[in-house]
Amino acid sequence: MTTTALMKRRAILVFMLDRPGVLNKIAMLIRRKMYNVETLTVCKTNQPGTSRMTITLREDSDEKMRQVIKQIEKSTEVISARELDMNESFWREVAIVKFEADEDRMEVLKRTYQFEILDRQNHELFIVQVTGTSLSIDEFLQDVGADRIVEVARSGFTAMEK
Amino acid sequence: MKGTELVLKALIDNGVKFIFGYTGGAIMPIFDEMEKQDALTFIMSRHEQGAVFMAQGISRASLSTSDPRTGVCMATSGPGAMNLVTGIADANMDSVPVLAITGQVPTGVIATDAFQESDVVGVMMPLTKQTYMPLSVDEIETTIHEAMYVASSGRGGPVVVDIPKDVQLQETESVCEFDARSCEPQLPGFFYRPSVDLDSLKQAVGLINRSERPIILCGHGVISSNTGPQLQAFAERANIPVAFTLHGLSALPVDHRMSLGMVGMHGTVEANRALMNADLIISLGMRFDDRVTGNLKDFAREAAVIHVEIDPSEIDKNVKSSVALNTDVAQALNLLHRDPALVSKPRTRWFAQIDAFRLEIADQIQKEIDTGIGREGQLLVKTITSRLSRLTQGKDIIVGDVGQHQMILARFYNFQTVNSWFTSGGAGTMGCALPMSIGVKLARPNERVWSVSGDGGFQMNIQELGTIMEHDIDVKILLMNNGYLGMVRQWQTLFYDGRYAGTPMKNPDYGAIAGAYGIPYLKVSDLDQVDDAIQTAADHKGPFMLEFICDPSEIILPMVPAGGGYKEMIVSID
Ligand SMILES: Cc1ncc(C[n+]2csc(CCOP(=O)(O)OP(=O)(O)O)c2C)c(N)n1
Ligand SMILES: [Mg+2]
Repeated sequence: MTTTALMKRRAILVFMLDRPGVLNKIAMLIRRKMYNVETLTVCKTNQPGTSRMTITLREDSDEKMRQVIKQIEKSTEVISARELDMNESFWREVAIVKFEADEDRMEVLKRTYQFEILDRQNHELFIVQVTGTSLSIDEFLQDVGADRIVEVARSGFTAMEK
Repeated sequence: MKGTELVLKALIDNGVKFIFGYTGGAIMPIFDEMEKQDALTFIMSRHEQGAVFMAQGISRASLSTSDPRTGVCMATSGPGAMNLVTGIADANMDSVPVLAITGQVPTGVIATDAFQESDVVGVMMPLTKQTYMPLSVDEIETTIHEAMYVASSGRGGPVVVDIPKDVQLQETESVCEFDARSCEPQLPGFFYRPSVDLDSLKQAVGLINRSERPIILCGHGVISSNTGPQLQAFAERANIPVAFTLHGLSALPVDHRMSLGMVGMHGTVEANRALMNADLIISLGMRFDDRVTGNLKDFAREAAVIHVEIDPSEIDKNVKSSVALNTDVAQALNLLHRDPALVSKPRTRWFAQIDAFRLEIADQIQKEIDTGIGREGQLLVKTITSRLSRLTQGKDIIVGDVGQHQMILARFYNFQTVNSWFTSGGAGTMGCALPMSIGVKLARPNERVWSVSGDGGFQMNIQELGTIMEHDIDVKILLMNNGYLGMVRQWQTLFYDGRYAGTPMKNPDYGAIAGAYGIPYLKVSDLDQVDDAIQTAADHKGPFMLEFICDPSEIILPMVPAGGGYKEMIVSID
């Protein structure tokens, strides 16, 4: 097994006109230029006709990051694109997790993490919603244990600068 | 008004005069509307690819006139639109503004695999600056205005507008008041506002002043911003030699004392060696294509780079710049030229070194041109090109196809007229020349246009002889017939032990073909007929075709092998 160290996680915030095909364009750009994209979220903004997109990717080179941003900015629909300062912004993600746990285990988890129980079947199968930094979600998942987890759905990041 | 009328109104409002295209079910309504008016001239190509290259010809050739225009082509849905793809991709690679309007199946059946439906927006998106599909008649005019604006602003490129048939037929009350000069569409963040950072400018001037061995690389941007004469003045004032990319050629007279000719894979020895030895590269409106840089690892490692480029995404993409000026070349040159701090250094040693480079293979080349005949006893394209150059005094317009003859034209035609050289560079699309020359001639009717092709490329859009015949387009067609896909043959000679796989071809009787299209024709196989034949074609009013029987063994050197660096440049073979 190769153990190549993961590159730094970084994020780009893009504001764009809400036109058909923009998402397709960005997705195609990512494929063509072979960027290491991890997550991509899009939503409408409070400005009518404008969307915001948060893209996270793994990249160590500042040079390459600037290229990605310039390529994105080239789209006619893009209003602005820039890198988010990870230390100066809030990062949140939602995960919905289906896993098995007995009463005692659940008590321990409840004491350590904040989450909402959405569903409980046969006493031992839970569906919960965890919201927080991706690190806290990673920790939660690790603590629950891969062999106990049945299914995970993660939203991808959304972020805002301070 | 009806959608179809609005399409034409929007085009006329944008100053469009010619439409090139081919009809079919989904575009018929627009063609029908065209028949009812006479502000636009319709020219039917014989293949949709021909139509895009004709539109490109309009855009490329009109750049330097007082009336620069974006060429327009039209095609029907499905196969019609798909036949445009190569020409659109070509325009994208060469930053040529083009507007393509395609008919689409009616909105009610889109995505049902209707007859002649293809996902035009999906296919074209990665090959264009922008693609649109107006879904209501009220969007038609604004879409076309925005499309024309996007195609021609900043770095040019193709734009496609795909209009469903039912939208073409809708009626609306609302009609735009439009003035092309003041139109700025609602595209926040898109507007290109050139501005030069004064600190960078100062740094650039400092680098130039300190440089002992500078070189200017003149790219397509110099042509696009129509700033050749300013470049000439700057190069003279700052005393810096100029090399040209394939698309930078004809920005200034190529025999000017500061000129080194073309740089790159088939560049001149002097341009390539100067680039290798430079301590400063001033690159103007170019993107460091691999045909210019060779292997990036070995490229100009000791040189500082001043990169002037309108498209920010090109800066630091292939070659790291020391100073970047993200602006249009005209503005940058203007500022550099007027900068009081700029000094003119004699750089005697540098110019002496360059003079030595110039002599390196000059004799060998001159001897070859004078002989005029290759190893197999037939004509050399280099000789034909230098005769053409002499007889036209380098003043005529040359449209080159793709192959050996193209590189030979780029090297041996003595370009004197600004923006007089057109060819497919970034994509290298064989077959571009014949249709492109039609657009070029229509945009510059008072100049003589030579369309030069090889026997391979000529047959790729040979059907456009029909268009030339029908509209009596006065282009002089030169066919360099060497019986081979010569450029590939050259690679086979040099790198594949002379195995000529898939390159020899049996050619038709081109005289009979020209005759069938009613185009006067001469076949030339003797050296002493060359001048007369060229003169006859030049003097003839109307289209004329010359077929030269050329030597398949001719090689164009120098050559930097693909993937190699300038160190590996081949300057002669035995
Ligand atoms: C559409 C297309 N197909 C293939 C190529 C690859 N190619 C580049 S040059 C060349 C040979 C061109 O032959 P010809 O037109 O006879 O010109 P010559 O090199 O002989 O002057 C070929 C096949 C290309 N550039 N474009
Ligand atoms: Mg040939």
